[in-house]
Amino acid sequence: MAEGVCLERGGRRVLKDVSTAIERAQVTAVVGPSGSGKSSLLRCFNRLEEPQEGRVLLAGEDTRQIAPVELRRRVGLIAQMPTIFPGGVRANLAYGLDDPEDFDLRTTLESVGLPGHFLERPSDALSGGEAQRLCIARALVRSPEVLLLDEPTASLDRDAVRTIERLIWDLAGRGLTIVIVTHDLGQAGRITSHVKLMVDGRLTAEGDVGDVELAWPKEQR
Amino acid sequence: MRAVVISLALTAAALLITRIQNLRIESEFIVAVVRAAVQLAVVAVVIGTVFDHLGLSGLFVLVMFAAASVTAGRRLHGVKGALRIGATSIAAGSVPALLALFGLGGYELEPRFVIPISGILIGGAMTATTLAGRRIRDEITSKVAEIEARLSLGVTARFALRSYLPSGIHGALIPVLDQTKNVGLITLPGAFVGMILGGASPVEAAQVQLTVLFSLLGVQTMAASVCAVRVGRSFVGPGERMVL
Repeated sequence: MAEGVCLERGGRRVLKDVSTAIERAQVTAVVGPSGSGKSSLLRCFNRLEEPQEGRVLLAGEDTRQIAPVELRRRVGLIAQMPTIFPGGVRANLAYGLDDPEDFDLRTTLESVGLPGHFLERPSDALSGGEAQRLCIARALVRSPEVLLLDEPTASLDRDAVRTIERLIWDLAGRGLTIVIVTHDLGQAGRITSHVKLMVDGRLTAEGDVGDVELAWPKEQR
Repeated sequence: MRAVVISLALTAAALLITRIQNLRIESEFIVAVVRAAVQLAVVAVVIGTVFDHLGLSGLFVLVMFAAASVTAGRRLHGVKGALRIGATSIAAGSVPALLALFGLGGYELEPRFVIPISGILIGGAMTATTLAGRRIRDEITSKVAEIEARLSLGVTARFALRSYLPSGIHGALIPVLDQTKNVGLITLPGAFVGMILGGASPVEAAQVQLTVLFSLLGVQTMAASVCAVRVGRSFVGPGERMVL
């Protein structure tokens, strides 16, 4: 949940008094034209950005009171371009874990639709869609409460897009709270009925895709 | 003097090449040549006095340290606190080595040893600081998305940056490693040549050169490592996040 969040970057107000609640165990899509502040809002949710005003709450707790390292394990963020670290798939999944053997990496990998034997693959042998699923699995290993997805399918082909969309739907069904940023209203409609429209740093509408489409600024359609 | 004129002619040829190659470093080239000439002329004038007084030679070393810090700081533009990082890295590399060499009796605490040895070690620390700092600055600024992906997995900034430091430190140490490996085979370094020209025996010259090379390995490794960590940290803001 965001309360009166204002973010300024490089002398420009990127977020202007944004307040919104995110439904638990649901998919929420934040849509809007490029540069409207969607990604910045996601980055405030896991404190990659610190708003100058307002606050972000996670299960009622001010995120500034939660250590960033802990917060980011509870609130995973997946970027637009799949970012795979050097090393194999196993090394990617185990990145930053104190005791990787305590985690069931194979099951996590399978939960995003990748075969368990991929664990031993070099990560540069993955396709774009597989790499993005690995990124999602890497966040899931930490058992997050919330998953933030920033245009997760923007660099993928159509088949990979559909696979990721099904995965998002499936993850929400398993109780994960998901916030996805997309500029594609069609994608938002395929995934969820909870859509929020962001224009010029403000949340200007919310509802289902139809409600938001009506409110989308005409000059930016 | 004839040798200086000949070497200057070679420099002019190099300048012509930079022009033909359109490298756009002509002004920096000329500034470097003029600065070297003026600085060495001044040093030649004052060195006689400085060599007679240990206190003055200490002051001279401080001037060298300040000049090295400013030079490294300028080279690290885009890094917050570049001058401070340059100074601390150079000090971290050169001060322990100088204390060891003079404190443990490697050399007598006399101006004729203090000035050249300090100059070589401070200069080496400056080079390593500049090379490591610039490499790591460039590495971090070009890989912010990857670093933020690491941070987003709930690791500290120090842990996230760990992968980006070794290549920068290694890159900074390549010149001294190559110089040490190839000494005598490809190059005859400055201290060795200087001592031979000054009339010392080749064995004495070799001893001094080995001391310089071994010390430089330690000095540059320390300076590059401290610089790498500090440059990395300069891009981290409160709350374990990247600030550019």
